[in-house]
Amino acid sequence: MTTELVFENVTKFYGPVIGVNDVTLRIGLGITGLLGSNGAGKSTLMKLASGRLKPSLGQVRIGPHDARRSAAKRLLGYCPDVNAFYEEMTGREFVLTMTRLYGYRLAEARRRTETALERTGMADRAERRIKGCSHGMRQRIKLAQAIAHDPQVLLLDEPLTGIDPGGRREINDLLRALAGEGLTVLVSSHLLQEVEQLCDRLVVVSSGRILADGTLAELRNLLNDEPLTIRLESPQARRAAALCVELSATSHVEVHGDVVTLRTRDPQDFFTQLNRLVVEHTLEIRRLETLDAGAEAVFGYLQRSAS
Amino acid sequence: MNTLRAFVTLWLLSFHRLFWSIGTPMLLLPLTACAMFLVRRRYGADLDPVMAFHGFSVFLLRVFAPFVTPLCALAFGTASVGGDREDRTLLFLFIRPLPRGLILLAKFLAAWPLVLGFTCGSFWVFCRLAGPPGRAAFDAYLPAVVYMASAYTALFHLFGALFRHSTIAALIYAVFMEVLLGNVPGVIRRVAINYYGRSLMYDAGVEHGLSAPDPQWFDPYPAHDAKLALWTITAGTLAAAWLVFRTREYEEPT
Repeated sequence: MTTELVFENVTKFYGPVIGVNDVTLRIGLGITGLLGSNGAGKSTLMKLASGRLKPSLGQVRIGPHDARRSAAKRLLGYCPDVNAFYEEMTGREFVLTMTRLYGYRLAEARRRTETALERTGMADRAERRIKGCSHGMRQRIKLAQAIAHDPQVLLLDEPLTGIDPGGRREINDLLRALAGEGLTVLVSSHLLQEVEQLCDRLVVVSSGRILADGTLAELRNLLNDEPLTIRLESPQARRAAALCVELSATSHVEVHGDVVTLRTRDPQDFFTQLNRLVVEHTLEIRRLETLDAGAEAVFGYLQRSAS
Repeated sequence: MNTLRAFVTLWLLSFHRLFWSIGTPMLLLPLTACAMFLVRRRYGADLDPVMAFHGFSVFLLRVFAPFVTPLCALAFGTASVGGDREDRTLLFLFIRPLPRGLILLAKFLAAWPLVLGFTCGSFWVFCRLAGPPGRAAFDAYLPAVVYMASAYTALFHLFGALFRHSTIAALIYAVFMEVLLGNVPGVIRRVAINYYGRSLMYDAGVEHGLSAPDPQWFDPYPAHDAKLALWTITAGTLAAAWLVFRTREYEEPT
């Protein structure tokens, strides 16, 4: 059975400043991305979920337990965003020590440490002192200490920062495998493209409130009023622009050399009309792409609509 | 999974990190300076044993009690919790299933033997270097040294729980409260831990020939009450540290 991370009407004040405002959220099986700009309340949500902060109002639960209780922390794995370690230790010593703090016997902690290092791709590099490790290696060590005790809920604060593209693929594969094993995974990130590729569900936070919650497609559908930008490359760019401007679904046209940039408020209608146009006028189109259908644009739209 | 095993792991981790911290060599510098002074001063060479004891006692009362003892406690007491706060590694402990009260207890129990070891160890070395008056002084003053070291350790854990830069706060406290206020005539000196410690030392030294101080400058607290005060400070500040550490949110808004 999946262990859920639940926020129930959670509000967090920092003195007179409100960090999180009446958030209700239920995060279950799979990978959920938590998106938000700096100061949006993303980190506060992560700290509340990891039991490091106490909500001013409401409750945060991991399974049936209050997030601040020891029982909840046994179910939780947390990979923090801070780049702090016991620098004098080797990666292996650090993960072993952190695992032993769950109360395992030495042999069991060693076995779990090796498994976690293996899964994070650090097994053959873990004898290096942490202070001599690259940022990517440090991220992997943090991830290893978070999964060594087989948590049911995994919180990852900016886990892909500083990791090279190959490494990102490996970490993404690992997170997908963990989610496949029944884990609840919550990833906060500024790397929106990675979140977009990785997550089954996105939660967008702004000014301490949940702005949107759903799959990327669902979020994009929320934005019917927002124009979609389309980039069209053609040797007949001026002719194509002149024809496109006549289409009812087109709201804006710009031409720069061979490139036509168009905006539409009705993408489905626009593409139908464009298809007809291309056939009727035998327009040569080398490349056609939508510029802002990704998470970045969705996030930007949501931010703008919130403000 | 076992809480006791996790507690022992944290105790070992804290003890190991404190012992191998920068505080240890930093502490050895003033201790070596004191030892060199004692070698040069040669209290044991004094022909009058009472005068020799008195002279060595003055060194202990004016240098060891107000400077060396708080310094030993400061080196390990503030680094215990404060070191993790400054290094931002406290969060790795907070996300583990150990209750915060037990985290503080493990840290105190790791720092305490180190403080006692360095305080009592250096006291023993100084007494050996002082010769015959040192041997008498060790037996007479050891309880006061232990009481003082314990009180300072607990107090500096409270500093660690309260202040982000607890070493600086503790240094300011040691200089202003302990050295300055502890030597001010009148009631105000009662804020200083070393006042009670020195009162115990005066009481223990009298039978060995230590002359009573001028009451205008130092009016010792009754020995029994001084002992009680040091116990109360130890237990009270440790309880306060426990309460602060348990309830405080060591996070800033982001």
